Amino acid sequence: MNAPEDGKNIYQPHLMEIVKVISETGDTKTFHIQFQDASLRESFSFVAGQFAEYSVFGEGEATFCISSSPTRMSHLEFSVKRVGRVTNALHQLNEGDIIGFRGPYGNHFPLDKLKGKNLLFIGGGIGLAPLRSLIHNVVDTRADYREITILYGARSPQDLCFKYDLETWERNPSLKMVTTVDAGDNKWKGKVGLVPMVLEELKPSAGETMAVTCGPPIMIRYTLKSLEKLGFTPSQVWTTLEMKMKCGLGKCGRCNIGPLYVCKDGPVFSQEEIKNFTSDEF
Amino acid sequence: MYRKITGEKLKKWLIGLSAQAEILVPAKMNGLWTFRLFHNQELPRNFLNSRIPPKNLFFEPLKALLGWKAADGSFQVNSCPAPEAARVIFGLKPCDARALRLLQPVFTGDYPDVFYAGNLSRTLLLGQACRVQCQGSFCSEVGIDRQDSLDFDAFFREIPGGYLVRVITEKGNTLTGEKEFFEESSAGEWNSAKEEIRGKNENPLFNLEKVKAGARERFPDEDFWMRVSAKCINCGICTYLCPTCHCFDLCDLQRPGQGVRLRCFDSCAFPDFTKMAVHNPREEKWRRYRQRVSHKFNFFYENFQTVACVGCGRCVAHCPVNLDLREVLLEMAR
Repeated sequence: MNAPEDGKNIYQPHLMEIVKVISETGDTKTFHIQFQDASLRESFSFVAGQFAEYSVFGEGEATFCISSSPTRMSHLEFSVKRVGRVTNALHQLNEGDIIGFRGPYGNHFPLDKLKGKNLLFIGGGIGLAPLRSLIHNVVDTRADYREITILYGARSPQDLCFKYDLETWERNPSLKMVTTVDAGDNKWKGKVGLVPMVLEELKPSAGETMAVTCGPPIMIRYTLKSLEKLGFTPSQVWTTLEMKMKCGLGKCGRCNIGPLYVCKDGPVFSQEEIKNFTSDEF
Repeated sequence: MYRKITGEKLKKWLIGLSAQAEILVPAKMNGLWTFRLFHNQELPRNFLNSRIPPKNLFFEPLKALLGWKAADGSFQVNSCPAPEAARVIFGLKPCDARALRLLQPVFTGDYPDVFYAGNLSRTLLLGQACRVQCQGSFCSEVGIDRQDSLDFDAFFREIPGGYLVRVITEKGNTLTGEKEFFEESSAGEWNSAKEEIRGKNENPLFNLEKVKAGARERFPDEDFWMRVSAKCINCGICTYLCPTCHCFDLCDLQRPGQGVRLRCFDSCAFPDFTKMAVHNPREEKWRRYRQRVSHKFNFFYENFQTVACVGCGRCVAHCPVNLDLREVLLEMAR
């Protein structure tokens, strides 16, 4: 991990150049970025699930996970839905523009606990971003895992993010890929239905399986219930929590839930941990 | 180690120190106590605690962290320098010094903040014993000794004609070691100068252990939090005047060709503090009030084994709707 150096200003971002912009949906873009400093390109490392603070200088900082995989380090990727000031500013940017980057922050997915297990990934909407980092990671080290199932849903076919990844995963014979939308159109050939419902139809076996889910809070809530119905115990289920963050360093106070700071103690938690939270404010 | 100094010599000593460091002393401005630059003036005796906590001298309300400029086609980001210039603050109260120590693990633990750390290391903290109970305060209930403290470099206690000094750190020892100004004193003399606090509560308002237990037990009690926060108007003054509140925002100020990123005070009392794109986990007022009280008496204690309240009473004295934290704590302790 990239530990802070003594005497360094922890709030100072590294400069990164946007090398590619991909329009995922009408309101979501993925940015490929690269450190300006060549030595950082070599030394930077992170683990799937970690996040960073990205700045558009003059507009401010916002928090996004690193959506590319640590096994593919030619550049970093992050995906942004246009909702507020900084995300709007990011959407205006083009290849060659400079942004700020602080990170990686937070904990990460428990790769050691996933090894040797069947894996079940359940994503919704832009929530596929952190899962995608992990999925690429396990695909690149495929021999370490048993069966891999990916269930991904969005509101409509137009709202599916990372379509290029979905296609690759569909073609990959060592993966089982299921895509669903809440409401299809005349061209849609995949499943129609909410993610938790499709999950219950799929009936994945809970034996020797670890489930990792990420998506809108409402989807996570019902997905956790469905997983319980399917026989998954809380220690088999992992998710990431979304909380407002500013510093990412456990100081500014926003992401505080009980004694925990989602930025430092999370964003990845097992359902076991969440069950024991003091507070339900997340 | 104990020393003593006359009032006149103290002033001369500070004048001498002002050649090497910025000296801040208590002063009354527009009817309110604050800390101001020392201009060789008489030092006030019997001053009450400052309205704005000296936390602001360490964790500034508005602090530039870094700046950027686009010059000649190249874009540069530069860190603002960490503060280094030597500084002496005389007359800090035990509650406020404890607050600075409480914030130390937050700012200088994991991911040390060079600005807070720099402000601490560049400052000689000279405390002064209280003689009067401040309005709204409950410092002794949260474990603060108003007439003694180890949170300073040296701690001063007023005696007729001058001060007794308890030397605490090596830095304090070196600076008060000048024979020209300070005489040796003793623990006996120090102890006999302890005086009664004027206007103090006859009996403790509550038992802190019971408050801590109550904070844990009451957390799920929505009715309790709704009732005690009912009159709160979300103005945030309690958080801005609190010597331990440390929530902040990071925001940018852009001018043509250049800009600066600022760290500025924020407050968990504000409705949009935790507002995100799709939801806000603390939209209701009672949740925000619960967060503030629980953070101080429950979560901070769990993380750092001490409550994040020094009982200074500023939030009680200056709340525009008289929401009295003491009453809430008292009820939690029941």
